[in-house]
Amino acid sequence: MIKIKNLVKKFGKTTVLDGIDLTIKKGDRIALIGQNGAGKTTLIRAILGQYLVDGELTVLDKNPRRHRVEILERIGYVPQLPPPIQMSVGELVKFSAAISRKSSTDAIDQKAAELGLDIGKNVKKPFQKLSGGMKQKLLIALALAGQPDILIMDEPAANLDPQARQTFFLQLMRSMENTTMLLSSHRVDEIINLINRIVELDYGKVVQDDQIGRSRFGDKMLSCRVILTEEHKAAIRMLEDWNFDNLNGGLEFKGDFIGAERLRFLTSISHFANHIQELNIS
Amino acid sequence: MNTFFRVTLADFRESVRAKWFLIYCLVFGGTVVLLFVLGITESRVLGFTGLSRLLITYIQLCVAILPILVLISTVRGVVGDRESNILEYFLSMPISLGAYFWGKILSKFFLIFIPISGALLGAIVWGMLKSLAIPWEIAGYYALLLGTLSWCFLGLGMFISTLVKKQEWGLGLSILIWLVLLLFIDVILIGLMLQQQIQESVIVAVSMLNPIMVFRAGAVLLFDPELTSMGPASYVILDNMGHGGFLAYTILYPLSLGWLFSWLGFSRFKKGDLV
Repeated sequence: MIKIKNLVKKFGKTTVLDGIDLTIKKGDRIALIGQNGAGKTTLIRAILGQYLVDGELTVLDKNPRRHRVEILERIGYVPQLPPPIQMSVGELVKFSAAISRKSSTDAIDQKAAELGLDIGKNVKKPFQKLSGGMKQKLLIALALAGQPDILIMDEPAANLDPQARQTFFLQLMRSMENTTMLLSSHRVDEIINLINRIVELDYGKVVQDDQIGRSRFGDKMLSCRVILTEEHKAAIRMLEDWNFDNLNGGLEFKGDFIGAERLRFLTSISHFANHIQELNIS
Repeated sequence: MNTFFRVTLADFRESVRAKWFLIYCLVFGGTVVLLFVLGITESRVLGFTGLSRLLITYIQLCVAILPILVLISTVRGVVGDRESNILEYFLSMPISLGAYFWGKILSKFFLIFIPISGALLGAIVWGMLKSLAIPWEIAGYYALLLGTLSWCFLGLGMFISTLVKKQEWGLGLSILIWLVLLLFIDVILIGLMLQQQIQESVIVAVSMLNPIMVFRAGAVLLFDPELTSMGPASYVILDNMGHGGFLAYTILYPLSLGWLFSWLGFSRFKKGDLV
């Protein structure tokens, strides 16, 4: 799907991509990780045909700059920071649906609804006035509605609440078989269940390229029971954020979350390890 | 509807919501209202009164303010979208570079031209309501002149927008260009001629290449066919080109210049890094 050989990108005297070699095959779901300034965004922009680069770069066997439109018809992209678009939500949805051949307003509405965003209620609201999470949900819905062959996302779940995060990961899981994904992220634990490969960039070079086995739990809902040792307010707030129910008004809590989120859940609850009497995940 | 028109429409909708557009409309609409309120139609200049007098004053005010307003509002076109990441997002969609750039230019042209021609139309409607004689020939030519001047500075603004890396640089460069063009109108040229430091042919050439000067001369030409109220450079040009030729030149030159700058801007835009 994407072939990169000795890719170099310089800005003035600064070399941002320094001889990258990478082959991305159909079905690859890659976590693109690395520190700030490692070259992740530059690589993504080069793939989108937005930068002139030295070396070889083909996307779907074509040059992404010369065949921009043809290639972008098959790519869905979610930026890290929502752009300050002044258009209303309705106008943006119509524009996006009209530009992309495979997309439609119905498909966008449906994807957005699955992520917990009611486009109908916000149709006249300027995109700029939506909350950070709502903007992100809409951008994800716009990208997914186009049924892309390649999905590129820059920190996709950064602004999402836990519930939308779960739906988002579930949707990605469902489209896994046919879609090649490139997910740029600072935190691998968030996306570990989505991916089958990790590529790490450092100072514009690939320093790690590993395959990962698929998780058995990634797309399953997990049931969890927690018993606290005492009424610890912060721990209770954290469980409520994850939509856990308090049983019998006591110290026992019960809730569900998607397998893809289990590492994040365990990371959250580990802060209260001293206040947990019993923890059960099944 | 194809991508080009969709981009035009989307950019138009984006820009209409911007505060600069409101200010821009108020400046031109307000100018016409102010001219009526001040009773300019009752005054007389070079034998002109009524609506002709108002239109002449309006077009002369446009000479001074339209170029800089057009530059300020368009110079952020590409560089502003680039800085705010709007460009990165829109160009991740299947939109051709031509559709994006020319769609944006067409949208900006409508945004600029609608308020100024609307103000002109408003003046005519008001004149009709007040039973004033309507100078159709002057109004038609002025509409054309305003359109070509807008196009000229729109092209220049978009070219600057593709040239600079930051909006502030674009704004600075626009103001500098506008000031230089204003300095090289007849008033300064007269001074230069008086000092006899520069050859007359050079002064005439500089004058003919300056779109603000061409616009100013064109605006005056209809009510002052001898250009007696203008400087000597205009007088020499008129002598060489004739009345009809000069009128055609005032339309065709800014139009060509606008196309040239737009094309240069697009060439630069598509050949470099997009974001």
